[in-house]
Amino acid sequence: MQRLINILILFKEYCVLILLVIISLVLLGANDNIQIRALRSYTVGFIGILQNALSVIPNVIDLKRENEILRQMNVNLSDEVNRLREARLENLKLREMLALKEHGTYGLAAGDVVGKSLHMLRNTITLNIGENNGIKADMPIISVSGLVGKIILTSGHYSVGQLMLNKDFRASAKIQRSRVDGIVAWDGGEIVHLKNVSTTQDVREGDIVTTSEYSGTYPPDIKIGVVSKVTAKPGNLFKEIDVTPSVEFPSLEQVFVITSLTDSERVAVEKKVLHTK
Amino acid sequence: MIFLLIQTQAMRLLTLEGITPDILIIWIIYIALKEGQMAATLWGFLIGLMFDFVTGYFIGLSALTKTVAGFAAGYFFNENKTPLTLGSYRYIVIVLLVSLIHNTVYFAAFTQGSDIGLLRAIFQVGLATTFYTAVLTLLPMFAFARKYIT
Repeated sequence: MQRLINILILFKEYCVLILLVIISLVLLGANDNIQIRALRSYTVGFIGILQNALSVIPNVIDLKRENEILRQMNVNLSDEVNRLREARLENLKLREMLALKEHGTYGLAAGDVVGKSLHMLRNTITLNIGENNGIKADMPIISVSGLVGKIILTSGHYSVGQLMLNKDFRASAKIQRSRVDGIVAWDGGEIVHLKNVSTTQDVREGDIVTTSEYSGTYPPDIKIGVVSKVTAKPGNLFKEIDVTPSVEFPSLEQVFVITSLTDSERVAVEKKVLHTK
Repeated sequence: MIFLLIQTQAMRLLTLEGITPDILIIWIIYIALKEGQMAATLWGFLIGLMFDFVTGYFIGLSALTKTVAGFAAGYFFNENKTPLTLGSYRYIVIVLLVSLIHNTVYFAAFTQGSDIGLLRAIFQVGLATTFYTAVLTLLPMFAFARKYIT
C-alpha cells in the first residue's frame, strides 16, 4: 500500500491530469449535442474493436471456470452416451423379441432373467415373471436364438426355469434337413447331445436341430442348435452327435415363456394309453 | 474571474474575421511558468470549467482542453528561469505551442459529427487563434520584460 502511495506521489501530476481529464470527459458526456453523439458512436466502435482484439487473449479465471463447466458437461455426456448405448442394445434385443412375438404362433410372456446358474449339474435361471403372469410349470422357455429350457417352479412374481444345460433336461428333437428324430440331453460342458440316432441315419455336421412334433412339452420347429460333430464308433448302435446350442446362455438376459402350448386333450389321451399299458 | 469576464465580454471587441484571442491560455501558461505543472493543471481545469459554465455551450470541453494546456505548459516550468522566460520571446513560443495543442484538442472534439474536417478547422481557425493569442502575449511579455529587467 505504501509502495502504491509512493508511486502516486511520484507521478502526482499525471494522476491529477488523468483525474481532471476523466471529470472533464464525464461532464462532456452529460452534453447532448451532435459532437457528443458522434463521439459516443466512435467510442462504442472503438471499444468493440478493442474487445474483439483482446478476445484472443485468454482470461485465466474465465478459462478455469469454462474448463470446469466443460468437464462437468463431459462427464454428463459420457454418462448419457453410455446410457444411450445400453438403450440401443436393449432396443435391438427388444425389437428382435417383438419380431418373435409377432411372428410366433404361441402365447408368449416376456420376462427378464434375474438369476442364473451355469456351472452346476442342474443349471437354472430365475425369471421375474410368475403365476401372476400366467406362468406354470412345464411351460417352455425360448429366446430369439432358440430353445432355452422349461419352467420347473413358480411363485406369484417369479419362476425358475430348467436350462438345456441341465442333467434332467430331455427334449424330443429332429434334424431339420433329414427329419431324423432323437432326444436332446446334456452331459456337462457347453454342448448338448442328440441321442438315440442310429448309425444308419443321415446326420451331418452343420445340420440344424429343432424340437420335434413328438414332444409333449415343447412346440415343434424351435431351433435347439447346430450339429457340430458326428461320430459313429464301430460296434455302437447309435451315433454320438454333438450339438452346439443356438442360445448363448452366459449372455442370456431376456426370454419368453410359451403360455399357450399344452394340448390338454393330447396329453390326456397319451396318459390314458400309458395307464392302459 | 477578471480574466474570465474579459475573455467573455471584452474579447468580442478584438474579434477579427471571427477569430478571438484566448487570454485564458496566456493566463494558464503564466501560472505554469510561475507555479509549476500541478498548479497549471488544476487552474487550467478550474478556469476551463468556469468558462464552460459562463458560456454554457459545451460543458466540459474547455475544462478538458485547458487542463491539457496547463499540463503541457508545465513542462516549460523552470524555477530559476521564470523571469527570463516571461520577459522574452520564449513566452511567445510557449504560448504558440500550448495554444496549438489546446486548439487541436478543442477542434478534435468540436468538429465531431460536423461536415468541417479536423485539419481544416485547425488550419483555418486553430492556427489563426494561436497566432492571434501569441500576438496578444506580446503585451504581458513586454510588461514582464520591463518589470524584471529594470
